[in-house]
Amino acid sequence: MSGKEGFVEADNAEAIITRIEHKSRKIEALLKQSKPVEALKTALEGSPPNTRDERCKSANWIAVHRAIMAIRDLDGLFASLDPEYYDILMKYLYRGLSTGDRPTCDQCLRIHERLTERAGLGCIVRCLADTINTV
Amino acid sequence: MANSLRLYLTCIRSTLEAAMCLQNFPCQEVERHNKPEVELQTSPELLLNPVLICRNEAEKCLIETSINSLRISLKVKQADELENILTKKFLRFLSMRAEAFQVLRRKPVQGYDISFLITNYHCEEMQKHKLIDFIVQFMEDIDKEISELKMSVNTRGRLVAAEFLKQFI
Repeated sequence: MSGKEGFVEADNAEAIITRIEHKSRKIEALLKQSKPVEALKTALEGSPPNTRDERCKSANWIAVHRAIMAIRDLDGLFASLDPEYYDILMKYLYRGLSTGDRPTCDQCLRIHERLTERAGLGCIVRCLADTINTV
Repeated sequence: MANSLRLYLTCIRSTLEAAMCLQNFPCQEVERHNKPEVELQTSPELLLNPVLICRNEAEKCLIETSINSLRISLKVKQADELENILTKKFLRFLSMRAEAFQVLRRKPVQGYDISFLITNYHCEEMQKHKLIDFIVQFMEDIDKEISELKMSVNTRGRLVAAEFLKQFI
């Protein structure tokens, strides 16, 4: 029984990774058209919610990272990003901050400051407390 | 440069404000015991996600929080061998006097230079925002202290060498 569940999980993981690859291609296209905010929205939606598979999470993180590094205009970002994306963006920011890579950390720190101003401390608390849907 | 330090400290400050939500919680396994859960890490339901905030490859801050305690571990920038030794000695000096600081941990967490342990009792006795101010101030001052120490070591070395070599002139 648990073997079957493992099998279903693996299948699901392959499906998710394929979806993420489609998403990455869309993101690249949007970035070429200089639409970093749209690219970030595409990257954040459909984030794998309940999968435990590290590969899916890493694949999605790479896509989101690409979108985050392309953002230049923070005011524009927060003007057009819907509040429902704030929590998931905060989780990805913390993942970015844990990488230790200087340009990523600089960018993530900049966005973190603005996002905290917009979304408040509740966003950070939800990020810390959510042990089930981690990124 | 200064801006990146400011952003780093702002990020740590807001994360600490969000994470410092501590309440009394007696030990679940042993009667009449009250232990900081973040140190034991026995029950996953009492722990929140640990958060690692890096400024660059050399400096980082790990914030682990649980229901009744919060642990903050810092890794300080060490540019060369001399700063390495100075940092180790200075922070060891502080850690040995952890009783006086109350919130300091006697040994830093593996991989870091210094650690703080804040429990619900500290939050009851002291004000939360003052505790956070203390931690952030500590992080700002530590860099200045280490630079000052390094400069005084270099100055003293130069003076001693000049005096000693005068006899050979």
